[in-house]
Amino acid sequence: MLLCDFHIHTKYSDGSVELRRAVDLFGQAGFDVIAITDHVVNGDSSFGKLAHRFRFTVNDKNFDDYMAHVRQESERAYDKYGMLVIPGIEISKNYISSDKSAHILILDIKEFIPACWSYEKIFLEAKGQDALIVACHPHHTSEMTMRETLFLWNNRDKYAKYIDAWEIANRDDVFNVISLKKYPYIANSDFHRARHLYSWKTLLNCEKKVEAVKRCIRHNKGVAITLFRN
Amino acid sequence: MILFWIFAGITLIGLAAYGFQVWAIRQTLKEREAARGEKTLLEGATPALPPLSASSPGISVLKPLRGIDDNLFDNLASVCMQDYPRYEIIFALQDYNDPAYKVAEKVREKYPEKDITIIVERCNAGLNPKVNNLTPAYKASKYEVILISDSNVMVGRDYLSKIATHMQDPDTGLVSNLIQGTGGRTLGSVFENLHLNSFIMGSVCFLDRFLKMPCVVGKSMLMRKRDLEAIGGFPAVKDVLAEDYLIGKRIEESGKKVILSHYMVRNVNHYWGMRRFLNRHVRWGKLRWRIGGFRYISELIGNPVFMSCIPVLLWEPSKVTASLLIASSCIKIMGDLYIGRIIRAPMKSLLYFLAPVKDIIIGIIWFIPILSNTVVWRGNRYIIGKDSLLSPCAETGKWSWGYRLTDAIKARFA
Repeated sequence: MLLCDFHIHTKYSDGSVELRRAVDLFGQAGFDVIAITDHVVNGDSSFGKLAHRFRFTVNDKNFDDYMAHVRQESERAYDKYGMLVIPGIEISKNYISSDKSAHILILDIKEFIPACWSYEKIFLEAKGQDALIVACHPHHTSEMTMRETLFLWNNRDKYAKYIDAWEIANRDDVFNVISLKKYPYIANSDFHRARHLYSWKTLLNCEKKVEAVKRCIRHNKGVAITLFRN
Repeated sequence: MILFWIFAGITLIGLAAYGFQVWAIRQTLKEREAARGEKTLLEGATPALPPLSASSPGISVLKPLRGIDDNLFDNLASVCMQDYPRYEIIFALQDYNDPAYKVAEKVREKYPEKDITIIVERCNAGLNPKVNNLTPAYKASKYEVILISDSNVMVGRDYLSKIATHMQDPDTGLVSNLIQGTGGRTLGSVFENLHLNSFIMGSVCFLDRFLKMPCVVGKSMLMRKRDLEAIGGFPAVKDVLAEDYLIGKRIEESGKKVILSHYMVRNVNHYWGMRRFLNRHVRWGKLRWRIGGFRYISELIGNPVFMSCIPVLLWEPSKVTASLLIASSCIKIMGDLYIGRIIRAPMKSLLYFLAPVKDIIIGIIWFIPILSNTVVWRGNRYIIGKDSLLSPCAETGKWSWGYRLTDAIKARFA
């Protein structure tokens, strides 16, 4: 089984660990597959404007540098640790109301996708790039510092058809509603700090190749979750 | 005022003792290599590799693993890259679910040409989990010379060849190493590295050099099986916390030499939290209190920053008391910086200004071992007795209310 984490932030957005160090941290701990998913924040709200002001977001200007850096680290990680690093982003639509807010992981992204686009347009663009779409922390969380993002869950009847998988667990939280709805699932750390290494993770029974990983998550066969503790 | 002068006097004694520690480290680094006709580390030389010999003793490297240490992959990989003709590596775990198992497997996959065995066997021979981990690995080892090397240790390619030279002397019973703390991206790990590079290294060198007392730290121990078995083997230390110290002590008592090799192994600590730093030094303090008895007081006297801090805390700060604290802190910072330079510790100079803060914390936790005789080690609670002998701690019954209350408070605030 491949030990995976598909939700990792670095200093390209609001993570506290640099990209290279984040890759090393997971490589040293024996991970097989990770995805670097820095925030791409919408600029059409006060929260979003603040994120852009303090550069807590990847934007269209630095996206190419970000991707080049992730690919460079991906090669290094494969050579040194035999670990697959998938480039991704977390589309972050932040509003004052948690019912309007949503975060979406786009894994194996190729071209920049702005967060201010409509949901349909984002999903279709991601599908066009053959990227994997994951709904992040879709339900109520226990973490007091984390703003809730309930939009996708509240509108699941409309958007579930676009979503390849839902986070059934995020860091220390488990969202049993995903299980009850029988949606495809994965579990991630939402890594921002080194201590977040110890959290919920995904186990995949597939080949260590990007296409095989995406296929495994989409079909949701051979997927398990585990609480990675030291 | 008399009390102030008493504390000032103790501070001076502490500074003098610290000076001896610094000198002991310097001499240890200088003379050990000079005696072998090499340029010293202090002179800026890179140690050269000794010629490989077919008659070099085969070495079984026993690596007890439990959980993910900082830099674990590189630590394990470093021992696979040794320029040494005959050695095997045995990674020993208690459980397939241990996250270190996956790392060990990856390292074995990366070095298929190396003689690497992974042993997963639950062993409950005693109360010391490290000894429990080592026992199956020891049984499976095939060479006469064994090296116990902790999982948080990173070494250079010449590690085995350097330390194995000591084994050419048949009177050598055990070879241990100096430990350098490196890394440090959090406050806890900076404190840990400062403490390893000043107090721990200074004490080990001081005891070895001036008092001729073996002070073996278990992160790296090279010995022959017959010498270990002559003192009773692992069963003799299965129920003690300080198995490393006792192995060293008993081997010396058996008439063999215990050598402190100049070769420095690195203990990589990147992401330690403060809690982990405090837990470890409370545990080590309890261990030294139970082994050393009243000699443990010398540690407090040997902490000049803490001793000079007491007058500031007991009486209102004045120019005199503050001057003493500032002076001792400055000397300590400069001393630690100097040690850092001579051991080439890759730590930023500014971080040495945290050394006095660390010393005050160490001074405060010095008192805990006198008040408490229990240790929590890898999730298990033990009562620690004389010579660090462990006995199970009752989790029920009328005497356990204190532990239960403490656990409940910790759980509430976790």
